[in-house]
Amino acid sequence: MISVPQAPAYCTIQDLGWRHLRSAGMPVSGVMDPWASAAANRMVGNPTDAAVFEWALTGGRLHFECDAVVAICGPGIEVTHGMHAGEELVLPRPTAGRFLYMAVRGGVDTPTTLGSRSTYLAAGLGHAIRTGDRLPIGSLPTSAATRPGNLPPYDAGVVRVIEGPQRSLFPDAEWERFLRTPWKVSRASDRMGYRLECEGALKAPAADLLSEPACVGAIQVPPDGMPIVLMADGPTVGGYPKIAAVITADLPILAQRLPGAAVQLQVTTVAEAQALIR
Amino acid sequence: MIFPRLTPLGDSALTITWPGGVSSHTHGWVRSVAAKVERLEEVQDLVTSYATLSIYYDPKRVDYQTISRQVQAVLKSAPAEPPIERGREFTIPVVYDGADLEDVARRTGLTTAEVVARHSGRWYDVYLVGFAPGWAYLGDVDASLVLPRRPSPRPRVPAGAVAIANGQTGVYPFSIPGGWHLIGRTDMRMFDPARDEPALLRAGDRVRFEARA
Repeated sequence: MISVPQAPAYCTIQDLGWRHLRSAGMPVSGVMDPWASAAANRMVGNPTDAAVFEWALTGGRLHFECDAVVAICGPGIEVTHGMHAGEELVLPRPTAGRFLYMAVRGGVDTPTTLGSRSTYLAAGLGHAIRTGDRLPIGSLPTSAATRPGNLPPYDAGVVRVIEGPQRSLFPDAEWERFLRTPWKVSRASDRMGYRLECEGALKAPAADLLSEPACVGAIQVPPDGMPIVLMADGPTVGGYPKIAAVITADLPILAQRLPGAAVQLQVTTVAEAQALIR
Repeated sequence: MIFPRLTPLGDSALTITWPGGVSSHTHGWVRSVAAKVERLEEVQDLVTSYATLSIYYDPKRVDYQTISRQVQAVLKSAPAEPPIERGREFTIPVVYDGADLEDVARRTGLTTAEVVARHSGRWYDVYLVGFAPGWAYLGDVDASLVLPRRPSPRPRVPAGAVAIANGQTGVYPFSIPGGWHLIGRTDMRMFDPARDEPALLRAGDRVRFEARA
């Protein structure tokens, strides 16, 4: 068991979420940064999809009631600790990015709902970790040899996108401006979506669009012209035109950008985006 | 069948769009193609909407070219007219005492009893499930009950609230913000994670509301 003498301001248990329930209106949910959660799991010998702690805003403290091997990963941090029963671990405050992850050898063993241990607060699935909680450690098959995390760099110059289903509703000049604009991540950003802002807004097409399916990474342009990138807890459908979509390989880079951080977009192709994650 | 348009939706999904907007004929196509595509091994998840079908896949296992070829083959084998399939039927009991019922009556020039009779007096099609888990867009409501959304949304609409807006009706699955006109409430759970199929309604189902005291 792991008990929580001091919970971070925002902390949840996440795995890779629900990938088969969009037809029920369930978002994928799950970790915001699958790079960091996979790296932390690798470092303790877990399967890369094991449930982990995800936290933001502040640090916290955990108390281990038994021996355990843990790894903490995220931008600027890649560290393993061997914990003895009775010891406390300090969860650092995220500073170089938004989210940090802690994996424990054997996995976090909270109950599954519909096949996932992820937390989706809007539907009351799971809850934010509070001071005083106790969380069980699982017995997932682990490899004896732990591996390095091998986190890729988060400060890559660009976030790559592919054209969205409604790209053609935007005149070419507007599309070029969308790609050229030095965007900043707005404060109005959370697990549902990241707003991008800049000096002059995009001109949103006046088209009256029927709601249609969306995806994680889709960039919608609402009437005010400030794009919204749908993130892990984002809605499964939307009625705003989707000008583009952030590619899977670059979503962790965007997910870890703090409010006010710059985002430079660059267009690529579906074939290239898919080759990057093979 | 009018051949629809295929576009990538990000690097892990594709969207099929039929021309022509909202019609039960188009929605018939969407549903019949969805039923066939669902059987393709590489398909991870499917979402249908009024005139679109999105197919989600794992790009580590299959690329866009391959899956779109498989989907094109399904589309080419489609019959000339959509098969008429009746979805499942549900009756949802409603207590019509919503906070906006009198306001809706005033705006539409009807009595509250007429609003209730017209809302509960027909079958609705489930066009789309989304926006929130278990939220179903039901249409079409009686022409006399077509109202735009409220000018400002409520920060919290109670779970189970039955509401109308923009010619559609729906039931709030959770307590969430919302801008629709609240006309009643139901005890039926629109989303229950303890069920194998957590959402009560699927796209293509048919729904009727029944007034209860």
